[in-house]
Amino acid sequence: MRLADYEPIVGRSTLEELRLLAAQLSGKVIQNINSTFTGGGVAEILSRMVPLLRQMGVDARWSVIKGNQEFFQVTKKFHNALHGREERLSPQEFSLFMETNQKNMEELDLYGDFIFVHDPQPIALVTKKKELGKRWVWRCHIDVSRPDEEVWAFLRPFIVEYDAAVFSAPAFSQQLPIRQVLISPSIDPLSDKNRELPQETIDTVLEKYQLPREKPIITQVSRFDYLKDPVGVVQAFEMVRKSIDCCLVLAGGTASDDPESDRVLAEVRERAEGNPDVHILPIPPNSDIDINALQRASTVIVQKSLKEGFGLTVSEALWKGKPVVASAVGGIPLQVKNKFTGLLSHGVEGTAYAIKQLLTNPEYARWLGENGRHHVKENFLITRHLRDYLLLFIALEHPEDVVYL
Amino acid sequence: METALSWLAENWPDAIIPLAVFLASLIATFWLRRGAYDRLDRWAKKSRWPGDEIVVQATKTASALWCLLLSAYLALAVSGLPAGWKGPVGKGLGTLLLLSVTLVALSLASRFIQFYGDRLKIPQRPVSMAGQIVRVVILVTAALELLHIWGVPTSPILLVMGVAVLAGALAFRDVLPSAFAGFQLSASGHIKVGDYIKLETGEEGYVTEMDWRHTRIRAMDESTIIIPNSRLLQSTVINYGRPLKKASEPFRFYTRAHLKELTGLKASNLRQMVEILKDSPDSVVYYHTHHFLEEHNYLTPEPANDFALWVSDALGDEVLGERLASVDVFDLPSLGAIKERLVNIMEEHLSRQPNGREAPEGREFHFIKSVSVILPTPYVAHDLREFVEALRKLSLGSLYYHVFESRLRLGRGLNDFSTWLEERLEEKELAERIARLDPYTYTLEGLRSSLIQLIEKRIK
Repeated sequence: MRLADYEPIVGRSTLEELRLLAAQLSGKVIQNINSTFTGGGVAEILSRMVPLLRQMGVDARWSVIKGNQEFFQVTKKFHNALHGREERLSPQEFSLFMETNQKNMEELDLYGDFIFVHDPQPIALVTKKKELGKRWVWRCHIDVSRPDEEVWAFLRPFIVEYDAAVFSAPAFSQQLPIRQVLISPSIDPLSDKNRELPQETIDTVLEKYQLPREKPIITQVSRFDYLKDPVGVVQAFEMVRKSIDCCLVLAGGTASDDPESDRVLAEVRERAEGNPDVHILPIPPNSDIDINALQRASTVIVQKSLKEGFGLTVSEALWKGKPVVASAVGGIPLQVKNKFTGLLSHGVEGTAYAIKQLLTNPEYARWLGENGRHHVKENFLITRHLRDYLLLFIALEHPEDVVYL
Repeated sequence: METALSWLAENWPDAIIPLAVFLASLIATFWLRRGAYDRLDRWAKKSRWPGDEIVVQATKTASALWCLLLSAYLALAVSGLPAGWKGPVGKGLGTLLLLSVTLVALSLASRFIQFYGDRLKIPQRPVSMAGQIVRVVILVTAALELLHIWGVPTSPILLVMGVAVLAGALAFRDVLPSAFAGFQLSASGHIKVGDYIKLETGEEGYVTEMDWRHTRIRAMDESTIIIPNSRLLQSTVINYGRPLKKASEPFRFYTRAHLKELTGLKASNLRQMVEILKDSPDSVVYYHTHHFLEEHNYLTPEPANDFALWVSDALGDEVLGERLASVDVFDLPSLGAIKERLVNIMEEHLSRQPNGREAPEGREFHFIKSVSVILPTPYVAHDLREFVEALRKLSLGSLYYHVFESRLRLGRGLNDFSTWLEERLEEKELAERIARLDPYTYTLEGLRSSLIQLIEKRIK
């Protein structure tokens, strides 16, 4: 993807501004480090951000830490615990986490002027800061508004070693002695997941998954994960279905660092058994066009997460001009301004009520969808994300509130 | 000598007749020439077209020679000279005629090109180039004709020349259209040095130079754009005409982007909010009273600050929310003053209702500060035309910086545009009109349109 390709969407002046900011980082190397090249939102964002930063003349690179299945099971527990779910972690698991990080510290070449560490998996690499110097930033993609105290207490000594921490929503910020920056993630309007699709493609996908065209489709796109509450979505749908003829699509893939999804998938299948209007679609990786088509074919899109890092699927739906019903958790309230760009809900009943409201008031639903698309264009496209990252690295070298360049 | 005289005595009719023919035709042609030039002179004086005088001047002297040559040719035709002599003498006369016609043609072409060049105000370079091309064509044609007179075959030479012309045309295939376009542009006079032009492809600026191949314009970032004349001719061009009054100092546009820095501080009730707000730096006040302008600029003005929204939505106190929302940010001179007004309203409310409500879990107010990064854009305006054209192109961040940020956060009290217009361009009235616009009641795009309208109106 070329940066210039975004001009028709965001305008020339936005790209000009990005180039001006990028010029300030000329000669600096930004090394991104996370745990996987594929699967999950972080890898998806990095795979687009890194090439675009490079096109602007910023030397951005991407390294991945190595870890075995056990390590990723531990980090998955960390992930859940940071989201506030109860997890029991044994001393051996903490040790395994440290050993893997230690091994990566020895093997990984930390060459960047800015070391940009994503999520908790590689967090302990910062131990090398004393030896290497450089500027270190921890990018937290998780909702840590109410983290498990034990895991937070374990991670905090590493976090405070960083020069700055980046969170996706204001509620995730903590009392920390380092700079904390708010950077929302973003979607790429030119990716297969978000670009415009011809009607034929949408029809083909509906056919492929044997979905009806004559009924309104309610869709939730997300990994099969407890925190996305797919069972709650089925419950809400059942309430709606009592009075409105419609169908539900639960579509989602899996990530290589998420060993839990099979269990969740089985649970949802069990809950929806015997209901012909519920379509559970485990989507294989690299099926972005399918996801895109499913969202475009939907009448209402739901994101009933219990916890959310940010909930980018909401921005994806809004970008397609779809009315959205979503839980007021994590970064979702930043995307859905209640009754302006979508409807926020707080439980199964509330979700069901909001879906019914949209299905019975198509004009209102359309108005919300249009506002939502505008909102995403201004605040949640990849170009805004690029700008924030450039600003972050510039601000790291300037402690003042007003920086003149 | 004696032989010649004796030959003349014996063959006097052979000598006398050509001589007589020569003299008679000389008298006749000179008589005709005088008559013709008398008429031509009179006609030239009556005519408004100065070209006829050029024709008269260029041919007057040469025409005398033509009379002489014609008479000699007639004499030669009636003379009894042997055929072997007649041929070379005839060719000699033809050569002289060709030379004189060539000289006249060169003189006419050069004078006409100069005349039309001056009349159409075509720059000297294309005029002299056209003159040279015509001269070469005349000389080549004359040379070929001369060879033809003396019986030298010209077909191979013509072939070689044809190939050379073709090769030349191929070699200069990119240059020639531009050169012709340059000629057309100069001749039409639609675009002149000093005009402000805008091409459909986006290039714009003042024309600083036009030559036979390119037109140079000075863009708003003070760079020079070189446009091939052929492209300029094919493009749709808006010409805004001559430069407007220049500012004593140009306006350099800046832009600013802001990073949201989380303070980690949060409030669950009004008392906590007041306490934190009191100790908050300007950058926090600025963020919570201004970020909506950018983030929600697609919704028609939403002139509420975050404090007011939170008090209404999370604490459910709509009366206090309304009071906080009605703080007129445009009316207050500084962020300190805004903070003071907000704190006063909250404290007054607390003095009447000390036990305020608590925000539900997850709806706490998170204090954020705005870190501004300010950097120059490439745009520079020397006059109102450049200024308004830059306004059309600016990012919203740039507009925001010069209108909102400079006024309040940087404590200048007035927007940058009004300051420059009044102090550097002596546009006091326009400056005041812009200063009177309450930017908080517009969307950013709406504000841009209003500014452009005001300036365009002034230019007209």
